[in-house]
Amino acid sequence: MKKAASVLLTILLFALAFITIVPFLWMLISSFATNSDIVKITGSIFPTPTTLSNYSGIQQKFDFLRLFANSLFVATVKTVIIIYTSAVLGYVFSKMHFRGRNVLFGVVLSTMMIPWAVTIIPQYEMMVDFGWLDSYKSLIVPGLVSGFGVFLFKQSIGGISDELIEAAKLDGASDSRIFHRIILPISHNTIAALAIFTFLWNWEDYLWPFLMITDDKKQLLSVGLKMFNGQYGTDYGGLFAATSIAIIPVIIVYMIFQKQFIAGIASGSGK
Amino acid sequence: MRNIAVTALIVYFSIFMVYPIYKAFAGSLHEWNPLVGTYNWVGLDNFKSVLSDGLFWKSLWNTAYFSVFSIVFRIILGLGLALLLSSRLVKAKDSLRGLFYMPTITPLVAVSFVWMWMFDPQFGMINKVTGLDINWLNDSHWALPAIIIMTIWKDFGYATVLYLAGLMNLPRDVYEAAQIDGANSWQTFWRITLPLLKPTTLFIVITSLITYVQAYVQILVMTEGGPGTQTYTISYLIFDQAFQKYDFGTASAMSVILFAITGVLTILMFRASGDMEQS
Repeated sequence: MKKAASVLLTILLFALAFITIVPFLWMLISSFATNSDIVKITGSIFPTPTTLSNYSGIQQKFDFLRLFANSLFVATVKTVIIIYTSAVLGYVFSKMHFRGRNVLFGVVLSTMMIPWAVTIIPQYEMMVDFGWLDSYKSLIVPGLVSGFGVFLFKQSIGGISDELIEAAKLDGASDSRIFHRIILPISHNTIAALAIFTFLWNWEDYLWPFLMITDDKKQLLSVGLKMFNGQYGTDYGGLFAATSIAIIPVIIVYMIFQKQFIAGIASGSGK
Repeated sequence: MRNIAVTALIVYFSIFMVYPIYKAFAGSLHEWNPLVGTYNWVGLDNFKSVLSDGLFWKSLWNTAYFSVFSIVFRIILGLGLALLLSSRLVKAKDSLRGLFYMPTITPLVAVSFVWMWMFDPQFGMINKVTGLDINWLNDSHWALPAIIIMTIWKDFGYATVLYLAGLMNLPRDVYEAAQIDGANSWQTFWRITLPLLKPTTLFIVITSLITYVQAYVQILVMTEGGPGTQTYTISYLIFDQAFQKYDFGTASAMSVILFAITGVLTILMFRASGDMEQS
């Protein structure tokens, strides 16, 4: 009885999951179809996959690989730095005492509540004044501290016992050594959760690169996709192919870190 | 290490957060066009013109409509799915989670494209499957609902993750006590699970609110505010005002109003949840 319920429920959930990802399957199948087959009004729901030309033609239509590499570079650099700064600040805020600690942490948290619309115009002007337009400095430097990341790490590092840290101190370990040798390795779940979110947020970021980067060669992929759509709006096959590839890196990052993902969120959001 | 980290944080925030916020407030009181270099004091004129602008109110209404529907469905779907996925009866949890998170972990620009094609009146899948004949994104009644549908699909997985994490942290003994008292599963859900998940719900509602009042990419990709101005939201309007019209002063006034609205709503929600706790 229980076994039957278990099988039934699992099948039901797989059916729901299938419906959830149908848009992706449809896109993927369409990316192997010819344009005339895609825009056909009558006929089956899924076009017939018959060609690889959408993929082989991407690079000629726009510098796809270059934009892909640009996005990969910026998103990776930012993810690594944000994880590090979040972990350091999470450690400082949860285990070290200093005057104004709670006020400062409150300020960090409150930055999560500030809409981009408020800061984007002054930041835009700042980047112009710094002469950072069209350089990756403008994409990387203003976004290196994440309120969300600090919050996650403060919660999870707060759960690490003080005795462990005291014991290491008695052995003569410095703060920096304790952080790198003890805190960081223990925090792998939080690192995983933050890596997934941060990589995604930077990979999908549109507005800031759109404003900062004017050289098409230096542009990031999400902006490139939108421009490609504007220019070649009727080349659906090409767009389907480009979009399918644009999704892959985030899925890979997710697959690498998925095992620790939920545990990371749980330790970060707990209590 | 502590002193370096704290000093660096303060310096960094002063440059990239405090100064921009100050400048947004100051800028809202100026006629400000960076293209020609104007920055002239106009007092509250920007606010007056914003508040008398019909498009501003329409965008505000669209933002509210978009946010409320997206948040409500995000919570319901996220919680429902988390409850199902946390059941001990379900097998292959990792694969299922992976599939259900797919929309959440794929870039918004990409999924906006996918749904733009899904909603295409000619070859799109939605009309083919449902047999409807709606020109979704070009129809003044359906464009915003279509964007909301896409957003709910894209985002429910985030609520699922947080609820799954919340369910993992629930105290076991309360459930055992309820079982001894003879509570059925429906009562257990309403009386125990839901109240205990309130902090998670509050967290999701607040972060969702912040996200949705800033929603921009799906609108830019799928409708560019159209048809006409039917899908203008407040963030789209601010972007348009600033970076298409180069009217930074008015755009700053709008962003200050948006800031105030989000701030007040967040405080009200914290208050309301605190009141519920006491009663």
